[in-house]
Amino acid sequence: MLRTVLSDLARLRLNGSVCSVTQVREKGHLNRPRLRNPYWFIRQQRSQTDDQVTGENRSFIKEVIHDTYGTPALIKGVQTYEQKQLIKTNELPVPTEPWTPAVRRCGVIARKIGQYPLWLKNGERIRTTLLQVVDNHVIKYIPPEEYKPTQRPNVHNLNRYGCVLVGAESTNPAQLTKEYCGIFRDSGVMPTKNLARFIVSPQAALAPGTPLNVGHFRVGEFVDVRGKTVYHGFQGVVKRHGFKGMPASHGVTKTHRRPGNIGGGGEKGRVWPGTKLPGHMGNRWRISKGLRIWRINTKYNVMWVQGSAVPGSTNGLVYIYDTILPLRKPQAALPMPTLYEQPEDEAPDDIWYEQVHNFKDESITYKPE
Amino acid sequence: MAQLLLRNFTRAGNAALLTKGTSSSSITATSAEPGSCQLHTTPACCEIRKLARLRVVDNSDLGKRAMAEGRPPRCIHVYNKRGVGLIGDKVLVAIKGQMKKGILVGLKQKQRIKQPQFDSNNLVLIDDNGSPLGTRIHVPIPTVLRTILKEKTLAKGADYTKVLAIASRYV
Amino acid sequence: MNINVRILTKSVAQQYAFKRIVTFSTKPTQQAAAAAVPQQQEVTGPTVRKPIVPAHYRFVYPEFLPDPKVEWRNAVREKLERLDMIDRRRQIELPEFYVGSILAVTSSDPHAAGKTSRFVGICIHRERCGLRARFILRNVIDHQGIEVVYELYDPTIQKVEVLRLEKRLDDSLFYLRDALPEFSTFDENMEAEPLEEGAPVPINDIKVVLRPRPWLERWERQNLLGVANIEQYIKDKHRKSAEKVQKPWEKYDLMKQYRATIPEEEQKEIFAEVHTELHTLELQRKRNKRKRTFVKPKHLA
Repeated sequence: MLRTVLSDLARLRLNGSVCSVTQVREKGHLNRPRLRNPYWFIRQQRSQTDDQVTGENRSFIKEVIHDTYGTPALIKGVQTYEQKQLIKTNELPVPTEPWTPAVRRCGVIARKIGQYPLWLKNGERIRTTLLQVVDNHVIKYIPPEEYKPTQRPNVHNLNRYGCVLVGAESTNPAQLTKEYCGIFRDSGVMPTKNLARFIVSPQAALAPGTPLNVGHFRVGEFVDVRGKTVYHGFQGVVKRHGFKGMPASHGVTKTHRRPGNIGGGGEKGRVWPGTKLPGHMGNRWRISKGLRIWRINTKYNVMWVQGSAVPGSTNGLVYIYDTILPLRKPQAALPMPTLYEQPEDEAPDDIWYEQVHNFKDESITYKPE
Repeated sequence: MAQLLLRNFTRAGNAALLTKGTSSSSITATSAEPGSCQLHTTPACCEIRKLARLRVVDNSDLGKRAMAEGRPPRCIHVYNKRGVGLIGDKVLVAIKGQMKKGILVGLKQKQRIKQPQFDSNNLVLIDDNGSPLGTRIHVPIPTVLRTILKEKTLAKGADYTKVLAIASRYV
Repeated sequence: MNINVRILTKSVAQQYAFKRIVTFSTKPTQQAAAAAVPQQQEVTGPTVRKPIVPAHYRFVYPEFLPDPKVEWRNAVREKLERLDMIDRRRQIELPEFYVGSILAVTSSDPHAAGKTSRFVGICIHRERCGLRARFILRNVIDHQGIEVVYELYDPTIQKVEVLRLEKRLDDSLFYLRDALPEFSTFDENMEAEPLEEGAPVPINDIKVVLRPRPWLERWERQNLLGVANIEQYIKDKHRKSAEKVQKPWEKYDLMKQYRATIPEEEQKEIFAEVHTELHTLELQRKRNKRKRTFVKPKHLA
């Protein structure tokens, strides 16, 4: 009450073109928990002003960028820059601790690039979604003692885990703000379009600048995929919850797609929490858990995972983690902390799970009994 | 006469979609074929549920007479939990005032890839022990029935694999 | 003479007909046909090089063109899919065929006695693209109409033979379900009828005879060319309602056409990528076929 009066007064004063600030101090106002985002939540895009840069200077800026980060290149099917300044993989520290089921490894940022069927060796057809790991680099590792987020993620015993900041899809730093580019300064990684943090065990810590590839995961293991579902806008109950609606005719007026009754009267005379009603549909973070990796292509950094219901639209971003489902934990050791790809490695492009039919093999036939 | 009978057969098989036509055309059809009740007002439904009309495809006396009269059997119960008959399911049918059991051996509904979809809903009449009433099935039946009926045959109870023995051809 | 009349009636019918846009029509649309004429003149000029990829590839290999919906497209996915398709094509001969051709498909079947099953029938529909490409075969066996859906790249398919290569007047022949059974009856032991090399694919202008109503679909609304007696069974009210749903303006809707098809430049890119592989496979198959047909004279005495 007092506040409104005061603010009214303030407005009056302002109208009278008197410039002074009315301070309102009340108990509870300053103690209220304030939303403090992590420091990497910064404005990313610089406002593109048409500043008078001559063509010569523009090409000079380009040259400087190419000198510091390398020339544009198509690496593993993704348009990026050949970042020569990064640490070579053979210089990276050799992992000392082996993988155990209790270890929490880093995840990767990927794009959902479509879906198509594969066939198993017994002739069964499976639907798969293709996820492409897009040019991932580790930017920073924050050890457990320093990682104190204000909004605690839903992780049991968080104080035991550190945090890895991963960036995906390098982009032209001239289009980004100075503060955003500052995040990348220490790592030596080119500023990226997308950032994500992964909560990891200290044993699975990664050095800044480490590239993450699809080899981080193994064929046949299970992953959790997190993405933002397709946004449908404000929808009615028929589309949002699959209600049946009401008949088109037979005396029905104005209630063809409406929810109908939403609650009883008397003691329960109110709308109960959780009642299915119209509202925004989609645009929520969802995780589909326990999807098997059927096939991996190392040339294009693509993995084929089970199912066609991975959240998000085609060409949308998703995050891939090792599964948390207890019965689908990997049986064999996974690469720790990640797989360092050596350039001289002569690995096959396509790695198929043993149950999947390779298209290079002959047609499937059944043995007569 | 034979042609008329054949036509009756196909009509009975397509009974579920008869209703797409307008009532007037149905009425003319009825008047052309006295004795057959061809006027239906329910919407077309390709699923086998209660009161779906079927086509008997074996040479049992009962089935042949029912089809010749243009009064095809109607499904009055499906012996599964969903209430919608799929291929190889046992159904109870009302045929010429009697209740008989039968096995669905061909469906009009969309089928899985590489499994045949038929132009009519085909039925083979069986008795309680699973042995068929006829001695021959005069249309092809899908090969997947061999697996389904073998799985459904338990050590105790009816032996449905006898239906496979009277099949003339597999697709 | 007959052909001329047919083409005339067809073009007239197309002009006044509601044209359903088929993603991979077996026939070039009017615009495409019109565009093709000046192009050929250009080719005769000295400056323009001859295109390497044959123009008929989009009809022979329609499934190599991706789904034209922009939101679903992705260059890497399409490339991987094409690689898989070519890998499969190296294992099995997937011949050129169209809606209206008669095919025999041999596939592994775990339920069959010999673990394989063969089905002969007329292709009534072709749809989808990439590894999902599929087609429907129809036949009448023992007076029983049967349809089977096959996926073109299914690895359980052992052999696809084209018994008679021809096209029909329409892009899908679902009306055979409502036609008299003799129009979809084909002998299972039919022998392949080889076409001369380089000869154009003949168009079978047979007109099927429909059964009286009721029908599965309202065929009178679809401007079918391959049906003889549709007028016999429809009344004035059907004619009127059919006229109401016609969309004669759709043929001028260039945007719709654009959205429903892959642009020609992209088609060229796609086929330039796969052309060499497909061409070598074709040549290899031809050589093998010739080898097979040559019968060694029997050594007598």
